[in-house]
Amino acid sequence: MTPLDQLLLLSALTVVVPLFTGNRRITGPLATLLYTGQGLLLLRMAGLGYGSETPVSSAVSLQVLGLELHWRFDALSWFFALITIGAGLLSSWFASGEWAQRYRDSGSSLRLFHAALALNVFTMLVLLASGELLSLFIGWELVSWASFLMMSLGSNTALRYAMRYVTYAFAGAMAVLMGLVLVYTRTGSFEFQAFRDAVPSMDADTVWLLFGLFAAGFGVKMALLPFHLWQAKAYAETPGPGAAFLGAISSRMGLFAMIVVLVQIIGVARLVELPVPFTFLSGRDLLAWVAVFTIIFPTFTALRQHDARRLLAWHGIGQGGYMLLGILIADDLGSAGGLMHVFNHATYQAVLFMSVTAVIHRTGTSDLNKLGGLVARMPLSFLAMLIGIIGLAGLPPMNGFVSKWLVYRALILEGSPLLFLGAVIGTLGTILSVYKLIHNTFLGQLRLEHVDIEEAPSSMLWPMMILSTVVFVTGYFPGLVLDWIASVQAAVGLPVLAHHLGGVHIDKGGLDMIWVVSVLLAGFGVGALVFLSGNRSKRVHQLDNYAGGHFLTADTRYQYSDNFYPGLMHLIGPWYRKSFRWLEGGFVSTVDTVSQLMQGLYRHTHPAFYLLAVVVFALSWVMGGD
Amino acid sequence: MNLSELLIELLLMPLVAFVIGLGMVLMMRKIAARLGRRIGPPLLQPIYDIIKLYGKRTQISHGLIHEIGIIMAVGGYVAAETLLPVPGMNGLADKGGVITLAYVMMIPSLGMALGVGQCANPNGSIGISRALTAMLAYDIPFILVIFGAAYVYGTTNLADIIAIQQQQGVSGWGLMQMPLLALAGMLALPAVMGKQPFEIYIAPAEIATGPMVEMSGKFMGGLFVMQCFQLYTAGVLYTTLFLGGGAYWITFLPKIYAVVAIPMAAAMLFPRYRTEDVIRLMWKWPVLVGLMGLAVAMK
Repeated sequence: MTPLDQLLLLSALTVVVPLFTGNRRITGPLATLLYTGQGLLLLRMAGLGYGSETPVSSAVSLQVLGLELHWRFDALSWFFALITIGAGLLSSWFASGEWAQRYRDSGSSLRLFHAALALNVFTMLVLLASGELLSLFIGWELVSWASFLMMSLGSNTALRYAMRYVTYAFAGAMAVLMGLVLVYTRTGSFEFQAFRDAVPSMDADTVWLLFGLFAAGFGVKMALLPFHLWQAKAYAETPGPGAAFLGAISSRMGLFAMIVVLVQIIGVARLVELPVPFTFLSGRDLLAWVAVFTIIFPTFTALRQHDARRLLAWHGIGQGGYMLLGILIADDLGSAGGLMHVFNHATYQAVLFMSVTAVIHRTGTSDLNKLGGLVARMPLSFLAMLIGIIGLAGLPPMNGFVSKWLVYRALILEGSPLLFLGAVIGTLGTILSVYKLIHNTFLGQLRLEHVDIEEAPSSMLWPMMILSTVVFVTGYFPGLVLDWIASVQAAVGLPVLAHHLGGVHIDKGGLDMIWVVSVLLAGFGVGALVFLSGNRSKRVHQLDNYAGGHFLTADTRYQYSDNFYPGLMHLIGPWYRKSFRWLEGGFVSTVDTVSQLMQGLYRHTHPAFYLLAVVVFALSWVMGGD
Repeated sequence: MNLSELLIELLLMPLVAFVIGLGMVLMMRKIAARLGRRIGPPLLQPIYDIIKLYGKRTQISHGLIHEIGIIMAVGGYVAAETLLPVPGMNGLADKGGVITLAYVMMIPSLGMALGVGQCANPNGSIGISRALTAMLAYDIPFILVIFGAAYVYGTTNLADIIAIQQQQGVSGWGLMQMPLLALAGMLALPAVMGKQPFEIYIAPAEIATGPMVEMSGKFMGGLFVMQCFQLYTAGVLYTTLFLGGGAYWITFLPKIYAVVAIPMAAAMLFPRYRTEDVIRLMWKWPVLVGLMGLAVAMK
């Protein structure tokens, strides 16, 4: 039994255990313990993350219709598995204490929640381990259904959007299946290597078709434009820790599959050779632009949300664009940025969802219009959210900055000003949006009903603090993550990034985060000294406020989040036209009309007439035959 | 260069920046006064102001984040100055580069926003909403200009950018090599500095509606110090990208003062823009000129 088999077995066990322990309090801690075990088994394969190029195979293989299904872990799988298990571990920890009690008391099934979480982790590991296209497809389907199970645990809204997801996922899976069949007819095999060998001899049309099928199929899971409508609400309404897990890693499985097929097998170089008719663009540029629009539109949709969880979920979609964009640049810097952003995003997105869940746990709402001023009540949750939003906005000193820096730097080297501008617009929109989030949750006016609330329980604080530390430390020492990224690049066949603990050294302007962050911290120290050199300040009570010459009493509510940026919305507000919803609606009505038409034709309208038509046709065929 | 020299540079650079920034604040107020046919403040007025603000007896704090916000606002710029090479001192130019600088420059805004947010004053929040919107407005042309410069010079290291320009004399300056980008940068500069006519979010004249509304004493003093750094950073960055930086202080100082003074003198004549007009203006002319400049530069 190889380490991979042990890992998958333990992961399967993690699914089974909650089914037996059920709604008891022990379920959460037990699951957390099992995830820790999975993490330790993953660490036994840590060589993969540090340059070992021999994949760890599974001893299990299946023979189906003369085809062999097999599973293995390479550096790419290991990297994604690390994030998956980490997210599972911390989400399950978060869900073990008071949260579980509250969840159980509200009549929900803890058994189902933990089983769904573990099932998500297990199926993702199966997908990540897939050794050829058929097992990739099977893993893909398993992951889709597992995440559906998780999403459907939420409210009715979540269920509705989860159903929407299933529809999208099904269409995506069909696209992937068609791609597989196409590959099989060309190569007679599902092996990655056979596919890779066949690609150079394929003509441009076939590669276009494969590219389109796989990009669209996997793009659904990543919520690439225009397949993004399902994700935000489905994730947002999932029970808190589940949302943290899904937001952190679930939709990255689409990116993983895309890396395997488009980068590792077809190769970005081949995509560059595919011209888009009547334009200057290549297939790669097309997808890069899709990525940039996936950054911009969802980010600005997030800006208009007034529910904290939806705001975060929309940002999750937008951040996926940076990952894809970076990987498509396909040089050492850009692809490292894209891959590193997967890790970074998982860490800060999980922290943000957890912090919002902690607020919901204490106040009962995530509606930004009904919160405010919680910073003095929940300082550590505030700190976690602060670190999270700095990461999400991609500002130093957090890790989100490093990955975005790599992408920007690569775009400058490549000379793509418009892609660069698009990426930066996304970042600026993110800053506006996350400030609204933290302002309306933790800053601003405290509501009277929240005067007596307490800090989140320690079972929630620990995972948040651990993740916040990771966000900061991997921003301070990005080399820790870049080591893994370099192994992934080697495994996938991308140029390997030369790096050091602090970042990258390039003659034409590199980055050393150790210095940058140190000097920033020193700057804050100087700022503090300057501040303290002033006269003593007197701290007033949080509710002691005035404006416009009047004292503001706490029962006058003035905290708002709707139209928080009126100047901006005055200008860009009319640009929100819900075009994609309109497009989706149009597509749905078309399918609906066609199906009704067909149904009418076949079943209701004129069966006798059709019978007659068929008979006449048959007769004419028979008589005209001679 | 050994570590101790570097550490001395890192200490000196913000200090020099502060002193020059004080001069810039004085110069701005002098320009504004002369345009209004007043005499303007005396030489040491900025220092008197800072001493006065820090020494005030009434200093109202609305909580820890209010204080940390001000510390971040000053500290972010202190760090930013070490990334900006000046004559004789390169600091961390090779470890950060211009992209890092552009992002470090956003930290003070975030700090100010956090600090004001804790004050729980609706007028403060309105000011922040305007400030962040203005940032979205001017950062787009600003980042275009940075991209263009970094692409044309082939490096993001500001020290290298200066060296490249100085090799070829005045004809090698960014201003000569990419005049359109330089123009776009100049158009965006008053907004980057947050000065007239783009200072509605600070709203110094009607203090009840800006971020400053809850800032008393040293809190206001912190923002005053931040303003010195802000002017200095904008002036030096523009000089570095387009005016050949400076080999000697004697040539460098006139350049950076001119970079701040020229757009200021023109911009003071305009009435204040509303927030949506700032966006409209910034997204139209500087972006248009910048894109044309990019097209020419990348040809």
